[in-house]
Amino acid sequence: MLLDIFDPKAAPRAIGIDLGTTNSIVAYVRDGAPAALTTCDGAPLLPSVVHYAKSGAILVGRAAKAQLTREPERTIASVKRFMGRDAHDPETKRLGAHRFAEPANETEARSVRFDVGRPANVTPVEVSAEILKSLKQSAIDQLRGVGGAVITVPAYFDDAQRQATKDAGRLAGLEVLRLLNEPTAAALAYGLDQKQNGLFAVYDLGGGTFDVTILLLEDGVFQVKASGGDSALGGDDMDRAIAEGLLEQMGASRESPAEVVALALSAARELKHALTDAPEASIELPARGGHNIVAKLTRAQLDDLILPLLERTGKACRRALRDAGVEAKALDGVILVGGSTKVLRVQSYVAELFGKPPRCELDPELVVAYGAALQADLLTRDDGDVLLLDVLPLSLGIETMGGGVDKILPRNTTIPTGARATFTTYADNQTGFELHVVQGERELAADCRSLARFSLRGIPPMPAGMARLEVELSVDENSLLKVSARETTTGISQEIAVQPSYGLTDDDVERMLIEALDFGEEDLERRRLVEARVEGERLLLATNKGLSADADLLEAPERAAVDQALAQLTSAIASATTASPVQAAIDVLDQVTHDWAGRRMNRAVAQAIAGKSLNDIEKTVEHAAGVDAHVARHRGDTA
Amino acid sequence: MTSSPFELLGVPVLFALDEAELEKRHRELSKALHPDRYAGRPSSERREALSRAISVNEAFRQLRDPISRAEALLLQLGRGVSETNQPKPAPALLMQVMEEREALSVARRAGDRARVERIAAAASGRAEEAAERMADAFSEDPIPVEHVLELLGELRYLRRLKEEAGAALDEL
Repeated sequence: MLLDIFDPKAAPRAIGIDLGTTNSIVAYVRDGAPAALTTCDGAPLLPSVVHYAKSGAILVGRAAKAQLTREPERTIASVKRFMGRDAHDPETKRLGAHRFAEPANETEARSVRFDVGRPANVTPVEVSAEILKSLKQSAIDQLRGVGGAVITVPAYFDDAQRQATKDAGRLAGLEVLRLLNEPTAAALAYGLDQKQNGLFAVYDLGGGTFDVTILLLEDGVFQVKASGGDSALGGDDMDRAIAEGLLEQMGASRESPAEVVALALSAARELKHALTDAPEASIELPARGGHNIVAKLTRAQLDDLILPLLERTGKACRRALRDAGVEAKALDGVILVGGSTKVLRVQSYVAELFGKPPRCELDPELVVAYGAALQADLLTRDDGDVLLLDVLPLSLGIETMGGGVDKILPRNTTIPTGARATFTTYADNQTGFELHVVQGERELAADCRSLARFSLRGIPPMPAGMARLEVELSVDENSLLKVSARETTTGISQEIAVQPSYGLTDDDVERMLIEALDFGEEDLERRRLVEARVEGERLLLATNKGLSADADLLEAPERAAVDQALAQLTSAIASATTASPVQAAIDVLDQVTHDWAGRRMNRAVAQAIAGKSLNDIEKTVEHAAGVDAHVARHRGDTA
Repeated sequence: MTSSPFELLGVPVLFALDEAELEKRHRELSKALHPDRYAGRPSSERREALSRAISVNEAFRQLRDPISRAEALLLQLGRGVSETNQPKPAPALLMQVMEEREALSVARRAGDRARVERIAAAASGRAEEAAERMADAFSEDPIPVEHVLELLGELRYLRRLKEEAGAALDEL
């Protein structure tokens, strides 16, 4: 094994994290190639299980997993399935050993809460943060410093689930550089490994989520054409299907004590794994009446049990192909991702579905983390010719009168994206608007995921239909939504702080952050300083790089101001004891480079457009003459 | 005034756009403007890049779709139209669409997936033909605006039919 020689001046390294339902992995890029780091369990795979011991200790990984059948209620597995979900979500009603806390009020009901036998219940965000903290610590131990993280999420995660993942990252003290879709991450790892252009499908069946992504790899751009999936479908559901049968054989039921349910689930998992190598498997289990039984399962039985689940994935795949406007036979390859694709029937089903054998040269359990590490590296290097262009997984819309949905941004729109829609009043002298932003494909707002409700007040009385409310939705590269609204006839404008309908508020996360630190505010301030320094260092690097390429776009006085701001930031980073002087120097640099940045962007755009051949330009001019002539004449008419 | 989508993508003001060329241009511009390219930059620069990338993506979405591409061209000709102020379609088209929708709902009720797929494929084929006729119309001088509007109506109906067939396939 190669060991990195410790360089005290080495910049902190960006890491990639696959925060999985069953296992989590942290990876980084060494000499241009991704590598998984060893977790606290001594292996790349860290079981995504957290145990809240009676002693107050929190265990993560294999040690926690060992407690699953002993103290199931204090042990949280598959927490990912509860991310961004509210206390009454159907997911909480399925077969499992979790003990959910009754929400005390409406605010609490916005998130699932686990009762782990402690005074304070824990949310999925907090549980996920424990897993992330453990991975972060492993990375710090091996890399000395961590400079930001890319965390992967299922492509089919909605806004609430993404936001929850980002919050978990923040809570773990990670700077979340980007949320990256898992299939896109896998494609990146494959694409950079195989250096091959073409149209690919990624079939990603994990422990709790299913994604399918159709993407085109060309000119170094990984362009997602369509994504589909189910954020509550995976290996866990196979386990449940097997466990239902085991419980029956044990003379038990889903209402039995949590220990019994946990035992059946764990036995189901063992049987499933054993069937990858053998045509049949058996396990000894305690049964009602004190005797033991031997439960047997054959591959054929397993195949029958999981077929309904596979058919659900098939439906999502056909829809994604339809959305992408391609047929299965046009695909150059199908890539398998996720631990559940190790099940043989899954592989043969995918082969039948797409009409070609799927590829799995890269370990389906590590490939997502590899892609995340590569993306983290790309983001911090600020160069290269590789870009990921992803899509919005689920349509965004606004509830209309009568409970329908006005879809403002359709699914599979390339992100980042934005759209405006105008609404009007329906009653005379109406002075406020209520808006409800939803995400999903269903016709009725009540059947979609509610993302946010907000109201705009203070509109002067007018007859119905006179006021104009312009709502703007914008979606960033992480598929995270921002909403703003203004009334255009009176100019009442309001950047609306959208109160999420689900999950935690910013204040909640801030409070948890302070509580999580040993010395509260003091620690938080120290952490802010570290973060400001990292940001400042990165800015120095980026600005100097910009100067070496585009210094000619700066006037002499501007150049002087930039140089001065750089010097100030350098000294602030060296001498500051709190974050604010560093932040102030960052703001100054930001300000003095603003116009220059715009010019640099214009240059980049001009270069992108000038990239075409002269031949094309001539053809263009010839064709365009017809419309131009027409426009000229019409201008004459209307002027 | 905001730039036209043609201007934003630096492509000719034309209906018969070369799709491969359009996609290539979008990729190149994305490489120049995508927020990932500005990850280490000051926040105002990141915001600026984000808003430009959004404009480019919106323009790309508009030009890739024949309906919104035609709308963008009509807007340049001083004829802003949208779904709500579009002239009424010809009675013959209406009849045909009614028949096709009836056939679709019969196939849907019968759970006949192959039949729904055929209807969807036929609608796609006809939409392509209509788009070709649209390209011809836009290359005439002067541009027969009324004919263009008629074709636009046809494309809208075909799109809705395709969407309904898609929804039916989601169920089956």
